[in-house]
Amino acid sequence: MSLIDRTRAALDQAIEVYRGTEYDRRLAAVRERLDEPLRVAVAGRIKAGKSTLLNALVGERLAPTDAGECTRVVTWYQDGHTYRVLATPKVGVPRQLRFTRDDGVIDIDLGVLTSAEVARLVVTWPSQALRTVTLIDTPGIGSLSEQTAQRTWGLLVPDDEETPADAVVYLLRHLHANDVEFLQAFHDTEVSRPSPVNAIGVLSRADEIGVGRLDSMASARRIATRLGTDANVRRLVQSVVPVAGLLAETAVTLTEVEVGQLRRIADLPVRQAEELLLSADRFVRAMPELGLTSIEREALLARFGLFGVRLTSTLLRREVATNATELSRELAERSGLNQLRELIGSLFYERRDVLKSRSALLALAETTRACVRPGSEAVAAGVEEIIASAHPFNELRVLSSLRAGWVTGKPDVVAELEQLIGGSGSTTSQRLRLAPDAAATEQAAAATEALARWQRRAENPMTAYEMVVAARVAVRSCEGMLARLEQSR
Amino acid sequence: VTVTVTDDATAPAPGAAAQAVAVVDLGLRACTAYDRPDTAARLTAARSALADPVLHVVVAGEFKQGKSSLVNALVGAAVCPVDDDVATAVPTYVRHGAQAEASLLLEAETPRRESIPLADVRRYVVEGDTAETGVPAGSARVTGVEVRIPRKILAGGLVLVDTPGVGGLASPHAAASLAAVSMADAVIFVTGAAQELTRSEVDFLRRARSLCPVVACVITKTDFYPAWRRIQELNEQHLAAHCPVPLISVSSPLRSRAIKANDTGLNAESGYTQLVKFLTEQIGGSAVDRLAAEAAAEVVALCDQLDAHFQAERAALADPETAKRIVEELTGVKARVEALKTAAAKWNQTLNDGVTDLTSDVDHDLRARVRVVIAEADAAIEAADPADTWPEMEPWLQSRLANELLANYELLRGRASELGERVGNHFHEASSELLSRPAVHNPAPLATIAEFEHKIDLKRMRVTKQAMVALKNAYGGALMFIILGSLVGVSLGPIGIGIGLVMGHRGLREEKKRQVQRRRAEARNAIRRYCDEVIFVASKDSRDTLRRVQRQLRDHYSGLAEELNRSNAQALVSASEAAKRTQSGREKRLKDVDSELARVRQLRQRAQAVIG
Repeated sequence: MSLIDRTRAALDQAIEVYRGTEYDRRLAAVRERLDEPLRVAVAGRIKAGKSTLLNALVGERLAPTDAGECTRVVTWYQDGHTYRVLATPKVGVPRQLRFTRDDGVIDIDLGVLTSAEVARLVVTWPSQALRTVTLIDTPGIGSLSEQTAQRTWGLLVPDDEETPADAVVYLLRHLHANDVEFLQAFHDTEVSRPSPVNAIGVLSRADEIGVGRLDSMASARRIATRLGTDANVRRLVQSVVPVAGLLAETAVTLTEVEVGQLRRIADLPVRQAEELLLSADRFVRAMPELGLTSIEREALLARFGLFGVRLTSTLLRREVATNATELSRELAERSGLNQLRELIGSLFYERRDVLKSRSALLALAETTRACVRPGSEAVAAGVEEIIASAHPFNELRVLSSLRAGWVTGKPDVVAELEQLIGGSGSTTSQRLRLAPDAAATEQAAAATEALARWQRRAENPMTAYEMVVAARVAVRSCEGMLARLEQSR
Repeated sequence: VTVTVTDDATAPAPGAAAQAVAVVDLGLRACTAYDRPDTAARLTAARSALADPVLHVVVAGEFKQGKSSLVNALVGAAVCPVDDDVATAVPTYVRHGAQAEASLLLEAETPRRESIPLADVRRYVVEGDTAETGVPAGSARVTGVEVRIPRKILAGGLVLVDTPGVGGLASPHAAASLAAVSMADAVIFVTGAAQELTRSEVDFLRRARSLCPVVACVITKTDFYPAWRRIQELNEQHLAAHCPVPLISVSSPLRSRAIKANDTGLNAESGYTQLVKFLTEQIGGSAVDRLAAEAAAEVVALCDQLDAHFQAERAALADPETAKRIVEELTGVKARVEALKTAAAKWNQTLNDGVTDLTSDVDHDLRARVRVVIAEADAAIEAADPADTWPEMEPWLQSRLANELLANYELLRGRASELGERVGNHFHEASSELLSRPAVHNPAPLATIAEFEHKIDLKRMRVTKQAMVALKNAYGGALMFIILGSLVGVSLGPIGIGIGLVMGHRGLREEKKRQVQRRRAEARNAIRRYCDEVIFVASKDSRDTLRRVQRQLRDHYSGLAEELNRSNAQALVSASEAAKRTQSGREKRLKDVDSELARVRQLRQRAQAVIG
């Protein structure tokens, strides 16, 4: 029986036990959630660019973004047949809200409610991107208004409670590694308990790192790679990728008109263009003969940033891209958006059953603790049985321990172990470090080899206890892969 | 490299300094003529300070705000390594030199320096690199890198100190930077145009302003952020509300480009002309003026002593009867002046008692502060699983302790100043009673007494500034301890996290809970061990500092008593000689004394003019 089926069975049993109690509806909701899209929250400290990134992921400028702190209510963006905004107040029943769209951005009229009274907003929006994931925009952690931050904490809740989000995209700003704020950023998430299992780190505002130099993204990539090896970061996220949020958002909403304006800059001789783009001030004021009004120029800066204008005009000049479609594709790649999407695909989407089961089982365990009824003991035992024995969970546990540095060994052994148990993607070829299109026979050979290797490690009396436990899990992973290969033959 | 654009920096006006040097030279000649080697030593010190003024301008700010770029743009050369990721790890001192060169400042048993090629500066300054390359020659620790380059802007004695980033409101670095700031002549606080001043930045600025006379706030990266004018407005409001200091907006890339292209217009656009003007006028100018005034004040003091001496002689010459009385009086004074030098003197007792009291007060204060920190740490441990929070615990603890140590140090410094004042008053009371006689001039005039603590401070500051690395000697290890940021040699260490891998059996929850309890107990113990260690080191340091303060005050007043003695002895000799002179000899000498008096008064006038 697969994990998701076991989870479903446990839920069915619980629904029977709790029929007629106040937990009835909640358990039904948990059961339904198993069949809904994966829920991914975008979290991070204030002004990290969460809404901008969310827009980039959706491909539309839905969430309002501003220079000030602007997301104050947890907002869900989910797929649906009609355009609809629903507010769930802390007290009272959910109600539908009126909204308008201003330049793409949804402007929601809270009506008689204040943002403090609203527990969450649900925006239903027919969108291809939202079909596989539901995205959740959160107010920044570390916000000056304590209440706003509390709301985020409430969303990303601890280990043994129900987690509204199955996975987290965590935005990091470039801070000094000794910065207490930097370390506390992780402390906050400790409360939220994302783990290397369900979180991806994003080094946000990547274009600011090189202060807009053309090689900024290369710099950002280097920093992201370093961050990815930082012990504190590793304990919490699987991987860190740099994303220039503004550019990513603009990439997916680029218009031909804008490309036309940028082309005027691209058509200038290199030296002149360089002079013009020396500073934001110069770009707005200098060279009146360019044929762009200062309002148009300011708008370009707001959409692309100085880095974006420099980059796009260079791309157009070198004819790397010649129209909006090509430029959009190029920017999606260069802004880091594509890489992030791939990661979300391989680390979250591929593993959605495990992540969703995890959320459901945590919710169920909480219920059995909160309310003891005849039969609930058995449900609790069942849940613990699944959590303790289901192989995917054991893999996740070993992964967390590896990341936390609790299981140690030679670096290459640890690295192999991490991949084998699905640390960088859960497909067979990813686990075995093979090319994505490796033939089944090649995969089987590699898996057999790995199996033997890890069996030896597990049985070697010189191996440390923690590593033995981990090696046994790795053996199970290898066996699982071989079984799947056998089946598909 | 010739730089034309940077020549917008004019060296501080030489007027006051040149006049002061001339006056001091005259004073030195007078010392030789009237046999006052004690005062000559003081004047020589003042003269060398004038000839080579050293003004430390500390460039401080959060991580990645463009501090190194600002220093580079100011001097028009890439002296401080700039990197997108890694930060400056040790301070770089950029100062004037006939030719470009660099040296390492090392802290070993005795601080020393070591020449390095310019190209190697990066290796030592950039974070993380030192660990790989290792430190040359023994286990000395690199505390700074000094780069000398020929630049007009630095010629006035300006030393730009590029510091490691502050890194957050409560980081140990913040306390370290503040400690450095307390010894600087000026602070340039750097903040990027990406966002308005944060709360922690404003806090830092406010504290810096209370520790350092000249503070300016500089907004960088105005080329990259289109909204920098709005940020500037917001910052102006914040500054006006919390700590009124000048605000200047600059763009380092524009300045660097302007220098390369020798483009005056672009230089003005970069905003640096304003900053340079501020540096040379507000910082350079004022500091040189201060030094000039100090030197001239020494000359005035000398003139006053000589004046009194000649007047006594003149009185004795004019009337032999008076001469006899004066000789008697001066002989009586001699015994009492000698008493002033002994340990039984009231000022000396005040000093000894005061230092004893202060030592125990400072120690008590330190312990009370650490106890609060421990309580906070315990609460934090209770609130979360140490396995999660441990990595951040050490920096947190360091920063909390660093801040408490700094506060403790401020207490020490404040109380030591008070004590110095009290001792000064007692000395003054005793000496002015002796010196109320017309014959003898008080070598410690009232003005000097009143400014005494200030003077001691200046003296100490001067020592410090000649080598900020040698802080340990001048400012006390307590501060060094904080400045190094890492609370040297004390480490929290890992705690046993327990076996995180428990699986395949029931009772997972209970097992986890048990582990958490064990971790908490371990964490609490580790915190206590750490704090004990910190108290041990810090209290030893503050005791040493106080002992140094005691020695310094004692030496100072013993010196003054000795001067008093000497002045008295000379007057005694002159007066007895006057009594022995013949009528004609007396008349002749009277004429000489009159012309000497005129000369001394003229010199005094000139010196007074320099002070203004």
